[in-house]
Amino acid sequence: MSVHSIALLTRDGERLSFPCAEDQSLVEAAAAVDLFLPVVCREGGCGACRATAQEGEYHLGPHSSAALSAEDAERRTILLCRTYPRGPMSVGAPFDRSRILSQAVRPRGGAVTELTLVGERTVRLCLELEDEGEGRAAEFEAGQYMELEIPGEGVRRAYSLANTANWDGALEFLIRLQPQGRFSGYLERRAKIGDRVLTHGPLGGFTLQEHGLRPRWFVAGGTGLAPMLSMLRRMADYQDPQPARLYFGVNRESELFALDELGRLAEELPGFTLIPCVWRAGEGWQGFRGTPADAVRADLAALGVAPDLYTCGPPALIDAVERAAREQGVPDSHLFSERFLPSVA
Amino acid sequence: MFCYQCEQTTRLPSGDGCASAKGLCGKDATTADLQDLLVHAVKGVAQQARRARALGVPDHEAGAFMLHALFTTLTNVNFNPTRFVTLLNEAAAVRDRVKARCEAAPNAATIAAPTGPAIEWTPAADLEGLLVQAAAVPVNAGLAEVGEDVVGLRALILYGMKGVAAYANHAAVLGYTRDTVFAGVEEAMDFLASDPTDVPTLLDRALSVGRLNLEVMELLDAANTGRFGTPCPTAVRVAPVAGKAILVSGHDLGDLEALLKQTAGKGINVYTHGEMLPAHSYPTLKAYPHLVGNYGGAWQDQQTDFANFPGPILMTSNCIIEPGPRYRQRIFTAGPVGWPGLRHLTDHQFGPLVAAALALPGFKADEPEQTITVGFGRDAVLGVAGAVIDAVKAGDIRHFFLIGGCDGAASGRNYYSDFATGAPDDTVVLTLGCAKYRFNRHEFGAIGGIPRLLDLGQCNDSYSAIRIAGALAEAFDCSVNDLPLSLVVSWFEQKAAAVLLTLLALGIRNIRLGPTLPAFITPNVLATLVDGFGIQPITNAQDDIAAALNRAA
Repeated sequence: MSVHSIALLTRDGERLSFPCAEDQSLVEAAAAVDLFLPVVCREGGCGACRATAQEGEYHLGPHSSAALSAEDAERRTILLCRTYPRGPMSVGAPFDRSRILSQAVRPRGGAVTELTLVGERTVRLCLELEDEGEGRAAEFEAGQYMELEIPGEGVRRAYSLANTANWDGALEFLIRLQPQGRFSGYLERRAKIGDRVLTHGPLGGFTLQEHGLRPRWFVAGGTGLAPMLSMLRRMADYQDPQPARLYFGVNRESELFALDELGRLAEELPGFTLIPCVWRAGEGWQGFRGTPADAVRADLAALGVAPDLYTCGPPALIDAVERAAREQGVPDSHLFSERFLPSVA
Repeated sequence: MFCYQCEQTTRLPSGDGCASAKGLCGKDATTADLQDLLVHAVKGVAQQARRARALGVPDHEAGAFMLHALFTTLTNVNFNPTRFVTLLNEAAAVRDRVKARCEAAPNAATIAAPTGPAIEWTPAADLEGLLVQAAAVPVNAGLAEVGEDVVGLRALILYGMKGVAAYANHAAVLGYTRDTVFAGVEEAMDFLASDPTDVPTLLDRALSVGRLNLEVMELLDAANTGRFGTPCPTAVRVAPVAGKAILVSGHDLGDLEALLKQTAGKGINVYTHGEMLPAHSYPTLKAYPHLVGNYGGAWQDQQTDFANFPGPILMTSNCIIEPGPRYRQRIFTAGPVGWPGLRHLTDHQFGPLVAAALALPGFKADEPEQTITVGFGRDAVLGVAGAVIDAVKAGDIRHFFLIGGCDGAASGRNYYSDFATGAPDDTVVLTLGCAKYRFNRHEFGAIGGIPRLLDLGQCNDSYSAIRIAGALAEAFDCSVNDLPLSLVVSWFEQKAAAVLLTLLALGIRNIRLGPTLPAFITPNVLATLVDGFGIQPITNAQDDIAAALNRAA
């Protein structure tokens, strides 16, 4: 079996290299030399490990088309967990060097402190991390996610954090209840205050970028709001100077949630605008009617700006928003996204 | 990007300098280019401010802005492009405000308004536009027309001025400013704005920067001693003690004092890191019982040292390098420092730092006690000058080596530890800056009660070294160059460039400079420095010690 040399170029210009055999995925080969790349499902299902094959031949293993469309694969976009080299490769990663850990993440236990239905089939889950001798601190970057392990089942699911790093060990998640979901089933039927949930993380490279005073537009579909809330809260904490707006897309008004928090943000973060987008709004709806992609397209055309665009939610939403942005001349280097896909099994 | 301001810059047969997507310090191309544009913008501020001064309406706010802005562009200070975009807009506003003051002055017509690209520049509305503007003003602008010697000398002056600005900013934040310093900064940056091409004039101006820096170091010395007392020899614990902990790095003693006040009685121990070590020798600071010790090595070890430190870290000035994931959420920046995504604390509002310290575990147990002694400032050394002079006259002290400057990661820097530990037992080693971390735990012993290793303090305490050398020369009725004293300088960034220019301006000869020579010093300029000042690159410790002792003999 041939072993090939892989050069990984991070977004912030660091060049890492590691050997990879033809039957090893890039994620596995990197881990073998203690480079833990930001991944979620490790099975081609979530799209969290998308990168670009700049040079070299490779085989792309089975994957969900929502995580990586045939069109994107044609453009040499790859999933690191599904890429098997067939020669030396050069890979461009859309995350910074600091997102690559040098040791596996140590799981930490957390107690359920809140379990509230905050919208139609949307639950706010709060945990408090245990102090295992190293303090309670919840240290993560706004926009990152954790994997939560269903008590007693050992099954993990990834959820974005909605709050910001803190010293009290507080973790806040906004979770959409899926009809057949394993974690959803736990939340609906068994979960109670005080349950101990094992957490793995933080993980992920969907985080704020410093690009001068360029406006930051956030687009969230449903519970894709969680990382946006985290980033906006951090902007408020730091009093970041960039003008920010949030397009919060739902199908019906009743699905809107966290409006109190978003209202508080408008008070704490100067230059912040909330734009709820309701696709099938009732007659009384005064706000924007349509999808966030429609709203973004119209506003980009009207305002003539090319903001940084952070999108999180279902792949169809991300694709539509990014298509709209490209149509309006927003360069790819301004586009950041995190795909929310329901886990299989 | 093109940047060759620090010692570790990329060295290639095709030419030296970092010119890819990211410099070796970790600075990305966007940030590097914005820094170039900020230097350009500061020239415009200086031009207007110089005219204002000549019109009798000097503007010290503009002066303070220039110091801070230039400080942010030093190596390992600020990596946040957003901060630079803000500073660029501020620079234009400051320049235009000073311009309005000039025009409102009754005698405005007596001095012509300045002109040139830095005066006419208006910041572009977005990052892309600013980067287009930056492309016109790299540090090596005009290379094809004026040649590498002129470009290199302009860089030498600019980098020296960055060091001057950093030291003057340290003094200014402690409440010490001086008209002549602001005037000197305005003059030097105005000179650079004129795109000078005459080599003798450039060399002469470089030495003027050295003289200005001497005044600035004297001012900073007055600020430090005025605020915190005269340093005195102090044993500093370098082993942790049990309890909650905060680590303070950088040079800003005012930040440290404010933090000591805010943590008093809270059960939090404060540790110094890197160049903050000399803080322990200042009476006002060492009076705080919770300033318990020093932690870690020099700046280049911070990724390991900070990851292992069980509390938050405050970075008050250079040198920050990319924070590792293990401590990224608990490192805070202050003053000129910045890194994307790190929390920046202004106006001594250290609440988040204190909260982090209380939440994080701290050290669980005392480690076996180990100490080093610091605080041999000029007062302490000159206080025993009689004994020192007697020891020299009696032949007990054969030679002094001043081994000072910055540390760094390059393997060639072992030279400095080899030099210090290899210096014969009848010689005394004076040290300052962070290069000392390579040897300050070595047991040097003493000569007739005089410690063989005397730690003078931070790099800016070169002022103390100069005063000590001057006093010894007076005592022996000779020039500094005739003293049994050799200077072995380890440079890394622009503060060291300023100090080097000061030493040259004072006529100090035969300095050993390393570990490598600055990339911006061209062969012709080096030849001039060798001819005029006897500057020599380092070779190996053993040979250089022997050469120094032979020269003295």
